[in-house]
Amino acid sequence: MAVQAGNLKKGEFINYQGDIWQVQKTEFYSPGKGSALMRTKIKNVTSGKTIDYTFKSNEYVDTVEVNSIEMQYLYKDAENAIFMDQQSFNQYEVPLEMVGDIIQFFKEGETMYVYVHDEKPLSIRPPASVTLKITQTDDAARGDTVGNAKKEAEVETGAKVMVPLFIKQGEIITINPETGEYTGRATQG
Amino acid sequence: MKIHSHIQHLGRYKKYQNMVELIHKYLQSKGYLLLDLPVMSPTLIPESYLEIFETEFQYMDTKEKLYLTPSPELFIKRLLSEGVGDCYYLGKSFRNSEPHSPKHIPEFTMLELYKTGENYKYMAREVLAMLSYVSRGLNGTNTLVYQGKSISLENWEEMTVAQAFERYASVSEDELFDQRRFVRRAQGKGYAVEGFSYEDLWSQMYSQEIEPHLGVNGYPTLLYDYPVIFAALSTPNLDGKTAQRFEFYIEGIELGNCYSELTDATMQEKRLVDEYQERKKSGKIEHPADDGFVDALKKGLPDSTGIAIGVERLGMIMTDASQIEDLKLITIQ
Repeated sequence: MAVQAGNLKKGEFINYQGDIWQVQKTEFYSPGKGSALMRTKIKNVTSGKTIDYTFKSNEYVDTVEVNSIEMQYLYKDAENAIFMDQQSFNQYEVPLEMVGDIIQFFKEGETMYVYVHDEKPLSIRPPASVTLKITQTDDAARGDTVGNAKKEAEVETGAKVMVPLFIKQGEIITINPETGEYTGRATQG
Repeated sequence: MKIHSHIQHLGRYKKYQNMVELIHKYLQSKGYLLLDLPVMSPTLIPESYLEIFETEFQYMDTKEKLYLTPSPELFIKRLLSEGVGDCYYLGKSFRNSEPHSPKHIPEFTMLELYKTGENYKYMAREVLAMLSYVSRGLNGTNTLVYQGKSISLENWEEMTVAQAFERYASVSEDELFDQRRFVRRAQGKGYAVEGFSYEDLWSQMYSQEIEPHLGVNGYPTLLYDYPVIFAALSTPNLDGKTAQRFEFYIEGIELGNCYSELTDATMQEKRLVDEYQERKKSGKIEHPADDGFVDALKKGLPDSTGIAIGVERLGMIMTDASQIEDLKLITIQ
């Protein structure tokens, strides 16, 4: 489907110079003369290479239709993250480069959505939030009550996050996997 | 949209406010008068590329449209023609239809500064001296560190627009000013040209191939002498091809735009009529054109140079922030 570049959104896939790319970032701006522009950062789904490209905001770009299929995350090796389609039991390998840093928050056995085009897995739709248990963090020193002070904590996947001082080891918290930021305590039960 | 508060930005916010204080201090010590100006106006200068915000004054049966000013220029040029002298505005300006991004918010802070009796070369020296004063006052040094890179405010890296196209896009001066050849060249580079104008392609190539190289070589970059078509409100140069406009950049971020102001009232008026027509054609919000502005120009604008600087963007550079939001305690998005 052709859309005007000004309508491109982060996460969409486009055809550009014969390859499929995923839009990583967009920035719309009016330079003052000539058409407005859409600056993008796009990632090649085959090579993992990222480039900056400026489109005219009213230039047509071909978007690529992808299916978003719920799969179970099995494990990762040196190059790929391995997912299983729970309907067909087919396994898919997604290059770690395309999954990105969010993989550090994935727990084996969890389900998430994988973007698939022509039977080829392209990347992961990042969940808005992940829920993980804190496996290691020090108790905050008493009296250290400065408004927004934070400390480091390790969660069960091995990733490190900054959490408020009142959070204790063993607690279950929610994290925005895209920014790696603590978003709150998970409600129990 | 929602209201977001960011008390965690308090430290950087205070530093940003110190920067604003230093700007006031520098400019007032140099004799520039601070102008307190409205941000709502019943008329605006027609600018074809800007979308605006409109609101309404109401009292009993009286209703009148008002527009948030996208720039204080319409007020300042009136005052200049009436003899206010060297002056500046530091306050809010508003631009619609441009979404939030790391480097832009619809309601932003603009410094607009005018020096009479001088041209853009004078303003280039003035701005560098101001940046240097602010940096020393804020960080105790004339060398900034932005996102791990060091930038000296000792000198400009100076380049004409033609030199930049030659150096970074391998487009010769002849190709740059010949619209047909330029479009052919853009097509050869793989840009979509069908249905697009010289201006469209020029802006696209400028953003894609030139801007990433500006202000990244250890000094802020001063890019000057734009093709006349991109500098309609500035004094033309004798070469007949370029006009006296510069922009300056640090780490690829555009910070300011300066003109030697065009004082020819006939040319100004033609320009405004063209912009008004283009605005109508593009379906943007219609607003009354500001006749008082045209009258002021007819009365005679003194020789002067003016620059507009994005204050939040400068704040990003001076406080080493990667986005405007990091300077703010409250944002709406």
